[in-house]
Amino acid sequence: MMFHLLSILSSRFDLERQSIMPLLKYSHKVWEAMKLKEGIYTRLPKHYLKSLESKEPTPVHWRPLGVQYRANPKTGQKERVQDVPIPIYYPPESQNGLWGGEGWIRGYRYAKNDKMSTRLRKVWKPQLFKRQLYSEILDHKFTISVTARTLDLIDAVYGFDFYILKTPKEDLNSKLGMDLKRAMLLRLARRNSELYPNDPVKREKVYNKYKQFEIPEEEAEWVGLSLEEAMEKQRQLEHKEPEPLFKVCVDQLVEELNAQKLTEPHVMEKK
Amino acid sequence: MWSSGRRVLQDLLSQAAVRSFSLTPAQNTVVVERWWQVPLSKMGKPARLHPRRHRIYKLVEDTKNTPNKKMELILTQTVPKLGGRGETVFVKKSFGRNKLLLEGLAVYPSPENKQMFAEELRLLREGRLEDRIQTRTGQLTVDFLKRSQLKINKMPSEEFQLTKEVVCRQLLKKLGVVVPLQALTLPFEPIKEVGDYWCEVTVNGINTVRIPMSLLPYEDQSAAYKKQLKIQKQHQGLGATVRKIWALQSIRLKLCNLYSCL
Repeated sequence: MMFHLLSILSSRFDLERQSIMPLLKYSHKVWEAMKLKEGIYTRLPKHYLKSLESKEPTPVHWRPLGVQYRANPKTGQKERVQDVPIPIYYPPESQNGLWGGEGWIRGYRYAKNDKMSTRLRKVWKPQLFKRQLYSEILDHKFTISVTARTLDLIDAVYGFDFYILKTPKEDLNSKLGMDLKRAMLLRLARRNSELYPNDPVKREKVYNKYKQFEIPEEEAEWVGLSLEEAMEKQRQLEHKEPEPLFKVCVDQLVEELNAQKLTEPHVMEKK
Repeated sequence: MWSSGRRVLQDLLSQAAVRSFSLTPAQNTVVVERWWQVPLSKMGKPARLHPRRHRIYKLVEDTKNTPNKKMELILTQTVPKLGGRGETVFVKKSFGRNKLLLEGLAVYPSPENKQMFAEELRLLREGRLEDRIQTRTGQLTVDFLKRSQLKINKMPSEEFQLTKEVVCRQLLKKLGVVVPLQALTLPFEPIKEVGDYWCEVTVNGINTVRIPMSLLPYEDQSAAYKKQLKIQKQHQGLGATVRKIWALQSIRLKLCNLYSCL
């Protein structure tokens, strides 16, 4: 019996292996993860690679219990509980706005809120507004599509610049936001040339206000880059003009001749 | 499409364009939870979700329907009907964002801003006299006092005299203005005679306003006396009309006599 089952299993396994992975060393599922282990990716700066690690964003569309154990509301017995996040879909346009961590909830609901009733498809979408937001560091007004939550978050940290600089990447959840963050950090790093070049008083004031976020320019240049952009940047940094072969050969020859001259006995002529 | 007249009206009245903008109606942050409980997974293992059941959600809360909270701001300028510089106000979010913050009339109440404005207010209160500026409410009080005048009735007692305390009390009673003793200056003290005088009130130690003040003879202020006065007045009015009628009648009588004589 046991042997029979094993043989069935092994034959199935062989079949699967043949059908999915004909002659590949690694499964295609791990390619993405393995990509970072070799080539140009390994030469990317450490702080950038660290920023790529994915972290759990703050729950927006669901309420976490926040505890490991709790008393059962019915029986009063202590029981273990766990938070199961609700998967949120972030459409591509969320990357061009500041949605404050909101996204689409794609799922189902019950008709009439009745569990015995029909199951209906449902997408909950955030309401978007176009708002002009002024950045003090960049000294520019941006027209950005935002949600009411974003505006509340901006008010909570006392300003647009603070919101962009204080919010971590996973909560900002927007390419535009990260681009703004990079621009602001670069302005702060290059404050002598770019931050309010015509107004030293205002520059000092703004710099003192946002001093706590300042990081070195080399690091700031990498903040918020996508993997493709970072790779391109690294490639350009490493790029060297190819040297013509004849130049190399000439140099070599000159060296050789020099060496030969040195080895020859030096004859002093008497006058 | 329009098979009956009723449908025509319905179609025209319903705002189809607004509704069809998006299939799902626009909402603010929604909070959902699962209808079906997720079975507990082992420690450190991800939960195993049912492909169908665990994607069925129940709407717990839509923040659009929660009551609108107000936002706190510090004013940098005097805004009519709201407050003066350095005042902390609670306003509707839309007004605060689109008007006050946009036009620079207010700033966020961050700790630095709060400290700055508190320092400024302290300097205004305790600083040198030349630097101090009247507050908005102070200015309003000054304007009000400039427009008003004080009438004080004498009391029946012999030793009645107008002192600072009396004037303060009368200011509170008649004008509703609380004046501390040190803010009031009374040039002719004590006043015993009926007549017109004036007093000076200093608002916030900066502006001084001269208020005309008149001391009137004694008048009974009790309700009973007032009622009596009213009745008297009515009687007087009645008497006058009666007298008028009598006079007219006498004239007519005289005329009649004249006619009869003729």
